[in-house]
Amino acid sequence: MLEIRSLSKSFGGVKATDNVTLDFADGSLTAVIGPNGAGKSTFFNLITGALKPDSGQILLNGIDLAGRSPPEIVRHGIGRAFQVASIFPSLTVQETMLAAVCADQRRASVMHRRFPLAETRDRAEHAMELLGLAGKRNRTAATLSHGDQKLLDIALALVLDPKVLLLDEPTAGMGTEERWRMIDKVRELWETQKITVVFIEHDMDIVFKIAPEIIVLCYGRILATGRPDAIRRNEAVIEAYLGTEHHTGAIA
Amino acid sequence: MTELQADQGAQALEIPHAQAKTQRNRDALIALAVFVVLALLPTVFSSKLLLDFVIRCAAYGLFATSLNLLVGYTGLISFGHGMFFGLGAYGFGLMMQKTGVPVPVAFIATLVITFVVALVIGAICVRLKEIYFAFVTLAFQMLIHSTILSWVSLTGGDQGLRGGIPRPPFLGIDLSNQLHLYVASCALLVIGLYLMHRIAQSPFGYTLRMIRDNAMRASFIGIDVWRAKLTIFVLAALFASTGGIIMALFVSGAYPEFAYWTISGEGIFINMLGGVTTFLGPMVGTVLLLILNDTVTRLTEYHGLVLGIVILFFAIGLRKGLMDFVVEWYAQRRNNAGERG
Amino acid sequence: MDLDALTGCLASSACLVTQTTSGFIIGMLLFLVAVGLTLIFGVLKVVNFSHGAFYMFGAYFAMTAYQLSGSFALAMLCGAAGTAILGLIFERVFMSRVYGADVLMQLLVCYAFVLIFDDVVRMIWGPEFKSMGMPAAFQVAPLFIAGGVVPPYYLLLIGVALAAAMILGLGLARTRIGKVIRAAAHNPGMVSALGINTGLIYGGVFALGGMLAGLAGALAAPVRSLTPGMGFSVLIESFIVTVIGGMGSILGALIGALLIGLIRSFGSLGFPLFTEGLMYLFMVIVLVSRPTGLFGKEVA
Repeated sequence: MLEIRSLSKSFGGVKATDNVTLDFADGSLTAVIGPNGAGKSTFFNLITGALKPDSGQILLNGIDLAGRSPPEIVRHGIGRAFQVASIFPSLTVQETMLAAVCADQRRASVMHRRFPLAETRDRAEHAMELLGLAGKRNRTAATLSHGDQKLLDIALALVLDPKVLLLDEPTAGMGTEERWRMIDKVRELWETQKITVVFIEHDMDIVFKIAPEIIVLCYGRILATGRPDAIRRNEAVIEAYLGTEHHTGAIA
Repeated sequence: MTELQADQGAQALEIPHAQAKTQRNRDALIALAVFVVLALLPTVFSSKLLLDFVIRCAAYGLFATSLNLLVGYTGLISFGHGMFFGLGAYGFGLMMQKTGVPVPVAFIATLVITFVVALVIGAICVRLKEIYFAFVTLAFQMLIHSTILSWVSLTGGDQGLRGGIPRPPFLGIDLSNQLHLYVASCALLVIGLYLMHRIAQSPFGYTLRMIRDNAMRASFIGIDVWRAKLTIFVLAALFASTGGIIMALFVSGAYPEFAYWTISGEGIFINMLGGVTTFLGPMVGTVLLLILNDTVTRLTEYHGLVLGIVILFFAIGLRKGLMDFVVEWYAQRRNNAGERG
Repeated sequence: MDLDALTGCLASSACLVTQTTSGFIIGMLLFLVAVGLTLIFGVLKVVNFSHGAFYMFGAYFAMTAYQLSGSFALAMLCGAAGTAILGLIFERVFMSRVYGADVLMQLLVCYAFVLIFDDVVRMIWGPEFKSMGMPAAFQVAPLFIAGGVVPPYYLLLIGVALAAAMILGLGLARTRIGKVIRAAAHNPGMVSALGINTGLIYGGVFALGGMLAGLAGALAAPVRSLTPGMGFSVLIESFIVTVIGGMGSILGALIGALLIGLIRSFGSLGFPLFTEGLMYLFMVIVLVSRPTGLFGKEVA
């Protein structure tokens, strides 16, 4: 259970996250939406420790993680993938996976043994299979296609066996067809891995179709939370999106 | 996990483990073979100049390869790595001159001193962004150099440690004998390279590569970036210090130039010359630079001018080290062969 | 350590004046070098590791011009203008080729030029120490301020440096070209999108930085001995100044330079063997407590 309690963060005078309180049940799949600058990425950055919150709590199974460093938070079980695929360009897919498992096993500073350690292999293998990257294991990350890089980024989070997986726009920069393939993958991962998944998404078609739970952020505040039907009919949400480009069509 | 998967997992466990073991044995065998060849060299070529050259290669090679652990593997561009070379030379020289302890004791004590100094300087520096890191390490190098110059009563100031370093025999090894010193230097070089290679190929070595590629991402998979950087900074300092110790033994003294910033500059250039993408690149660079230095010094007094032009040629013209070309050529050939086959 | 000398000096107004002026001299020279370094870094995002060479060339140019013409003003002009041209050529021909490359390449190119420039000076002027000598106009009785001895040339030096600082500050803040430079520092892509030639700006900034360092060298020539390699310690010290003041901040460079100057002049009384060490110690304290420097912005 991931519980966010009155989380706040401001930059200068601007409140990027304003007193946000939320619960994410174990095994839930939630989409975070909101107009540009709504504070979605800041919200993720606060949970994963990239930013220190001004106040509030981030409780994962009762342990407060607010203000701790990213490595600590990762070790408690909150993994994350990035809007722009964040990978290790010169490592191969397999090396990336193996190194990540090493880190998760607290063996990142082992010097007396040769890389890779045998006992890390099956986990890495499993993650590559899950994301469909096994066939590209010997490619260096820099030579992968954009979509594969995004998958590798997700695999990098997933291989650590997180309890909660945060995906910042998994479909960013993709064509329509590729988007659906990616989002199907996300849904499949959620179903098979039984983990809590929270993702940011701009495409309303996708959100309303696959997310059982939706959170709408606007100017750092929660505008609405609930099931797709309720969100679709929510007055405040419609208002916030009115006039903001093509999203209107999707909402109405 | 299903039973089937578990079964496959168990199989996967066995094979790589065996591979890793043979690989390690192979590395150790190669190291041993290289050492034997180097040690037998004097029986074939009795040239004193050649032995001197190899000893200098050992000193600078250890220094340059350790710098590559920082520059090439971790992406930490230290422009002050030479301070540990100087520290090793002065630490060891002073220890032998002032205390008269046996050589191995002085050796270990010097490494302990280097460890402490590197820990303090590293703790301050490794947090800094790349260009700051480069210059603040350089500033520390200048601090150590100026301390050596001004603390005349201890270090002899700009005259250096004079009067020779006593090298009493131990365990039948007499380092004042050139042949003994030669074999000992080769042993230190081979052991040092073997250990550094082990580090580079260990899980920690891959942690360093991740930090170089994308430190932010590394921290998001649970790696304590600061600690890893500090660890490699200190380790690299120990190997550089060993290089300095060999140098002090070789010249039987220590001079402020050993701690001057140009040593760091040369180290960086050696890495560029040989290439930072291969483990042995810096070793190749060391041999080339020493040959170049010796040739240029014989031909002209404007040594810096020539060296500068060579550096420009590599930095602006080629933009790669020699070993990088070898690797590329090899990859190309393999690709072509693959296409044909 | 000699704390008595230090406390004794602090109690005497004469000594206080003498040490403060000599601290200001060191500080103002460092400022002129450091401000160029920080300006080049601000706009080009390159630390010009060979910046000390411009200081050295400024001094040698001034000495030669003075020996040939006997005019102090002309000597200053030659020092500043000569290095400005040198800076322009250096940037356009060499540095501009490594902007896209990584920091390692930029450092190596600069390192190559440190070696080359030192040997060029050795070739032209010889390896031995040279001295320009105090110009006749300033060979007058020193002033006495509150009992302290202050050579008139020191006042000129401080005045010229301060004037340069003010012109630079005003120029960057008020003029069109100053605004373009600041815009280029902020967002290079934007400036070229507006149709302004970034190459010209980059070359110009390098020339400006070179000129300031050359001016510092020229001003220092009458009071310092000239030798190949004299630029390197100045470079390190001005780098420390920019670390203390904050990369990219002109005010920071001024304050940082004066602090370092005063630390050096008073430190040499109290801690004669550890004067340089004090400077580094101060840098470390600033770095640990405020990693972006006293006046640095968050993005460093």
